[in-house]
Amino acid sequence: MNEEVARHRAGAGRPPRSLISANLLIAVLFAIPGGYVVWRTATTGEGQLATIASRSTLEPLWRTIQLGFLVSVAAALTGTGLAWLTTRTDLPMRRFWRIAVPLPLVYPSFVGASALQSGLTPGGIVHDLVSVTGVGLDLRLHGLFGAWLVLTLFTYPYVYLPVAARLSTLPTSLEENARLLGDRPVQVFRKIVLPQASSSIAAGSLLVFLYTVSDFGAVHLMRFETLTQTIFRTRLFDQNRSFTLALVLLVLALVVVAAERTVARRGSRTHVVGSRPALPIPLGPWSVPALVTCSLVVGLALFSPALSLADWGLSGWTRQLRGGAGLRLDLNDLVGPTWNTVWISVVAATLAIVAVMPVAYLLTRHNSRVGGLINGVVVAGFAIPGLVVALSLIFWTLHASPFDFLIGTLPVLVFAYVVHFGAQAVRTAQVAVSTVPPRMEDAARLLGAGRLRRLRTVELPLMAPGLAAGGGLVMLSTMKELPATLLVSPIGFRTLAVEIWNTYEAAYLPEMALLALVLVAISALMTWMLIVRRVTYLA
Amino acid sequence: MQNRHHHLTTVLATTLLLTALVAGATSCGGDDDGQTLTIYSGRSEKLVGPIFAEFEAVTGVTLDVRYGSSNDLALAISTEGDKTPADVFLSRSPGPAGYLDDQGMLAPIDTKTLERVDPGDRSPDGTWVGFAGRARVLVYNIDEVAEADLPGSVFDLTGPGYQNLVAVPGSNSSFQDWFTVFRLRNGDDMAVRWLDDMVANGARFYPKNRAIVEAVGRNEIRFGLVNHYYNHQEVAANGDAQRSANHGFNQGDDGGLMIIATAAILDQSDDRELANRLLTHLLSDSQQRYLTDTVYEYPLAIGVDAAETLPPAPADTVGAVQIADVAAEFTRTIEIIEASGILDQ
Repeated sequence: MNEEVARHRAGAGRPPRSLISANLLIAVLFAIPGGYVVWRTATTGEGQLATIASRSTLEPLWRTIQLGFLVSVAAALTGTGLAWLTTRTDLPMRRFWRIAVPLPLVYPSFVGASALQSGLTPGGIVHDLVSVTGVGLDLRLHGLFGAWLVLTLFTYPYVYLPVAARLSTLPTSLEENARLLGDRPVQVFRKIVLPQASSSIAAGSLLVFLYTVSDFGAVHLMRFETLTQTIFRTRLFDQNRSFTLALVLLVLALVVVAAERTVARRGSRTHVVGSRPALPIPLGPWSVPALVTCSLVVGLALFSPALSLADWGLSGWTRQLRGGAGLRLDLNDLVGPTWNTVWISVVAATLAIVAVMPVAYLLTRHNSRVGGLINGVVVAGFAIPGLVVALSLIFWTLHASPFDFLIGTLPVLVFAYVVHFGAQAVRTAQVAVSTVPPRMEDAARLLGAGRLRRLRTVELPLMAPGLAAGGGLVMLSTMKELPATLLVSPIGFRTLAVEIWNTYEAAYLPEMALLALVLVAISALMTWMLIVRRVTYLA
Repeated sequence: MQNRHHHLTTVLATTLLLTALVAGATSCGGDDDGQTLTIYSGRSEKLVGPIFAEFEAVTGVTLDVRYGSSNDLALAISTEGDKTPADVFLSRSPGPAGYLDDQGMLAPIDTKTLERVDPGDRSPDGTWVGFAGRARVLVYNIDEVAEADLPGSVFDLTGPGYQNLVAVPGSNSSFQDWFTVFRLRNGDDMAVRWLDDMVANGARFYPKNRAIVEAVGRNEIRFGLVNHYYNHQEVAANGDAQRSANHGFNQGDDGGLMIIATAAILDQSDDRELANRLLTHLLSDSQQRYLTDTVYEYPLAIGVDAAETLPPAPADTVGAVQIADVAAEFTRTIEIIEASGILDQ
């Protein structure tokens, strides 16, 4: 028994067979979209190699890398800074910030970007409100800068959530000791907090990168031709190019995932041992700049799009009062879709966590090569555009599996969400697993607790904040997912995102705006109930 | 305390999973023995939903409609292949239907249905038929511009009288449809020169048609090249407070173009007769009247007049212009538009 414990602690223990088979199954399932891209590239037309080497591929590829890098760096800085401010300092109104800060993630990219853009241009509500104060704001967002700004504002929560979760489980004693020894807050941050949070920061930045390179809505609006833009433009009439570029995107994603793994392995980590609430660092005179920063970020990312939406919604209402067309929106358009959005996103998030747990265990407890490979498969899948995920599932279900009777049913839709967004839970799950001290599990094992009992009583409570953060990301992403929802859901199944898209397509701006505001409000409520409360409760 | 939290979560998760399973099971259950037809619609539910509802009410047939973007739905149908559940495909423009036709996935439509529209509004081999049109027009501010001073040709807009006065939605797909046809008709040199002249003349870029109509309405800019129906929607919404109107260029001028929405029947459909009935319904006088009176599109059925408020219909339709290599042409169009600098105006 002791020998087993020793081997286990050294991380050299052979993973149990059940863990290996669970991992292989997960790898196969998550490889469906990527496999489809490879297969289609290999079998559609010819001249793929020439396509890859052509200027019309290399230029968008370079722009994609540029944008992905710049957005990741900016989101990492923003997300980490905000996480530290909201979990570790005496920032005023922390409870409010903890709910508001992760929310920009919920804007569907096409809605958020266009609300932000038109709010800031002349005639837009934000522009007009600001000009009352005498500031002439003429910000016509477009190109690299526009895409960078919009994507940074909507993706920093990918860094914020895991980092805040990590910070809330860190033993505070280290920081307090450092402070007692005379280190100033900035030094404490650099010497203690940063190294401990680095793996969470890397994990979040990776998600930001993958989201950015696979985004279509924002770059399309900002007219910045990335690979995904080209993939969409050529998707129907030049499928050879479209799938070849999707493969290039996938390879880029795999390279970046591998790079992140290397960085994350080097990061040090401290295990949690029954933490207690941190003693907040007094900001003193720094409260004002801290508040300004928070307000600026949340104001731009959350409130200015919301303000534009409210303005559009209100215009529909005043139009009705003036005797113009009434609002073409009734309760039925709201209630059913809202409920569907809520339950399917929670189910998808829960299943995503369950699906990635074996991967996290294999990777952190056994440090095996296979684990790294499977991690790559799961995470890189996030870079595949949702449309391609949907097409791959249609193909697989109908033509390459005995499950064709499942097409157009909810299990396939939930499966699409889990496969597409599971990546968002897998790194936070790894961090969560790695925070459980093996010594603690060993103790439980020596005391005779079975595997399940150990999981339930020892590990899950310790991992809960990390898992909730990862699940929260999956939940918020599912709530706004569109291409897969439109193509593989049961006919007639509506989510809020579908309704928003419907009204957007019909150019019913006020109705679209009201639906988008409902989506933001619902996700705020769910973020608070399912993520923020848990994370702080366990802090 | 901690335990109770866990219990709550477990109960919540179980409830949700059960809901999912029950919902999944009921959706699998299928419909009763009545006839059903599955439609993949690239036109928005807000526009065509009432037409489907009317068909269901009249015939008792159940319509299952999957809404989405025309291109994505065409891709889904071609991926589903011979197992596609779709009977009918509605598309924003002829391109996606033409794509499915090239794959051999469309069935011939009944001659009687086809002949409801002019030959220019249907595919030469009878596999798709146009049912509604959207026109490219010039929107103008009615307080600033007298009707008599309106231009007859799109080429007039490069002249001194229009300096800094015209809005162009360079990145919009309808504008790109129009510019592609414009280019094929006049040759690349002339098309490039026209766009360069527009830029030199201070034309302003706006990303969206609707933004242009709103900007013209509040006299932020005087003219704009747009799809016709946005102005009608704004007028319907705002009444006399909307200070903009549509102007169609002279008949035959290259500034006008009709982009038509199309309907097609899938080869795999197990009830083509019923599918044909739906298409006939779509082209019936009453539904064509709805399309033009309520959602301000141009009716395509012969004998149905456009709503009086619409400007005269342009003579050319996108469907009538044969484009050999659609992808290459659109790529070229986008290159020219980007090179012109209009997007930075």
